[in-house]
Order: sequence, then C-alpha cells, then structure tokens
Amino acid sequence: MSLKRDIPTSALSGFALSAILVLTILNILLQHLPSKISTAGEELLKVNATEGVANAVTTVVVYFRGFDTLGEIAVLFIASLGIGLMLHSNSKCDIKAESNFMLQTASKLLFPIIMLFGIYVMIYGHLSPGGGFQGGVIIASGVLLLLISHKEFEVPHSVIVALETFAGVSYVLIGLIGLVVLDKFLGNFLPNDISNMGLLMSGGVIPIIYIIVGIKVGSEMSMIVQNLIRRESNV
Amino acid sequence: MIGLIILFTFIAIITIAFAAITQKKLADSIILFMGVGLGNVVLFFTFKAPDVALTEAVIGAGISSLIFLMALKHLGEKS
Repeated sequence: MSLKRDIPTSALSGFALSAILVLTILNILLQHLPSKISTAGEELLKVNATEGVANAVTTVVVYFRGFDTLGEIAVLFIASLGIGLMLHSNSKCDIKAESNFMLQTASKLLFPIIMLFGIYVMIYGHLSPGGGFQGGVIIASGVLLLLISHKEFEVPHSVIVALETFAGVSYVLIGLIGLVVLDKFLGNFLPNDISNMGLLMSGGVIPIIYIIVGIKVGSEMSMIVQNLIRRESNV
Repeated sequence: MIGLIILFTFIAIITIAFAAITQKKLADSIILFMGVGLGNVVLFFTFKAPDVALTEAVIGAGISSLIFLMALKHLGEKS
C-alpha cells in the first residue's frame, strides 16, 4: 500500500493514465446521468416476450446466440483438456500439513448450502439473474472447498467424464432436434406459451439447455481445480 | 445518489488496481485483484446488469483468483 520515497517514472505515468481515465469516464457519466443508463435493452425486451422467458439475458445467451454458447463451452472444454494433459498425475494427494479441525467442520457445514445455491442459480437461470455458467462455477467452488479441507476426498474421474459427455452430447442433440422440427439450430420445439412467463416450467427448451450448460461447466471446472490441487501437492 | 455510489466505486477500483500493480509480493497483488473484482460487482449492479455482476462475483473475484493463487504456489517462491 505504501508508496516508496523515490517514486519510479512508470508508477507516475500509470497514475497519470488512471487520472485521465477517471476524468474521461466521469465526463461520460455526467452527461448520461442517470435516466439514460438502462435504455440499451428496450428493443431486446420487446423481442424477448415472444419466447416466454422472464430473464432477457438468458434468452440472448441461450436462444438468439445459442451457437456462440456452444463455442464457449468448447473453449472451456479445450482449456480443461489442456490442463489435464499438462498436470495429470496418477499419484494420490499427500498434502503435508493436515487441515485443521475448524476448516473440516465448517466445510462439512457449508458444502450442502453451496451446492444448493449453485443448483438454485442453475435451475432458476431463466427467471432470475444467473444461469448455467455461474451455477456450474459455484458448484466447482464447493468441490474446491472439500478438496482443500479433506485430503482423501476426490471426485471420481469416471463420474466427471460421464457427466461431461452426457451434457455435451445432449446439448448438440437438442440443437439438432430443433433443426429437424423447426428448421433452425436450437429451435424452441417445446411448448413456450407467453401466458406461462415467470413460472418454473416456462420457456420450453431454454431452461433445459441452461441446466445442461451448468452440468458441463461444473464438471469441467471441478476437473481443472482437482488437477491443479493434485499437482500442487506433488511438488 | 446513484452518481455518488458510481463515483466512489470508480475511485476505489482505480486506487486498488494501482495498489495491486505496485505490490512487491505477487500474493498481495492477487488479493488486491480480488478487490478490483468486487468493485466491478458493485459497478455492474448499479448499472442494472445483475447477470454480469453475478458472473463477475463468481468467476472474476472468486475462482480465477483461487486458480492464480494455486498457480503461484505451484511456481514456488522463486517468482
């Protein structure tokens, strides 16, 4: 926190740059305060009503840009694959220091709540903020908590592989069914009545796809975290 | 009122980011980077983007900092 007595020129130039940035952003903000902040999505909200999903962002991410979401999942899969190739080792974890009693008890208490919150964020992604990506990462952080506190804990490799394969295959299958039924990749072939908007069973195929995305992201992030922890304990 | 919150958050984010790049130990920088992520969460939430705020809280401030910390421990003390 404390700046040294002789401030280097790079720090000074960085400070000047950030001051310029602050002034620019303030200038923009003061011109558009505060009624014009949230007008960008107005037209999108009108289109959104045709799909019967309450959360407009979910409609954009899963439906209008569903193919991009498939690409994002592929990117995450490749990242997980690369980390697995670089860091995988068969040896068991042997962390030298035993984690203490407080951490073990607290993690046993917190783990179900974190899991429940992750699943909630995943299932209610089409009604409230959140969705598959966020819920999956929350579940992976719960797994990370158990990995830190219990040194013999391990998610079995076969379970992760099965979940990930199932999720990836069913995403593409649902997309192809939409292509066959409605002549559009990821077409919404299930009933999506606007009168049901706001219910849990609304939006047709969109919540199902987001749950699948959540399963895939959760298993991939758990894989990444587990590989990093295993490798770290071997060094 | 909302303008005051935004102004304060901007100043806090830039101060924390400046502190993060001037730290000597990398672990301190990563913790301050987490603080930048938390400031971003407040900012996104005031701009009425709760989805982005949730994503930033989970990924930007949460698990990416933890992955940075694990990578730092993996690299060892020599860096």
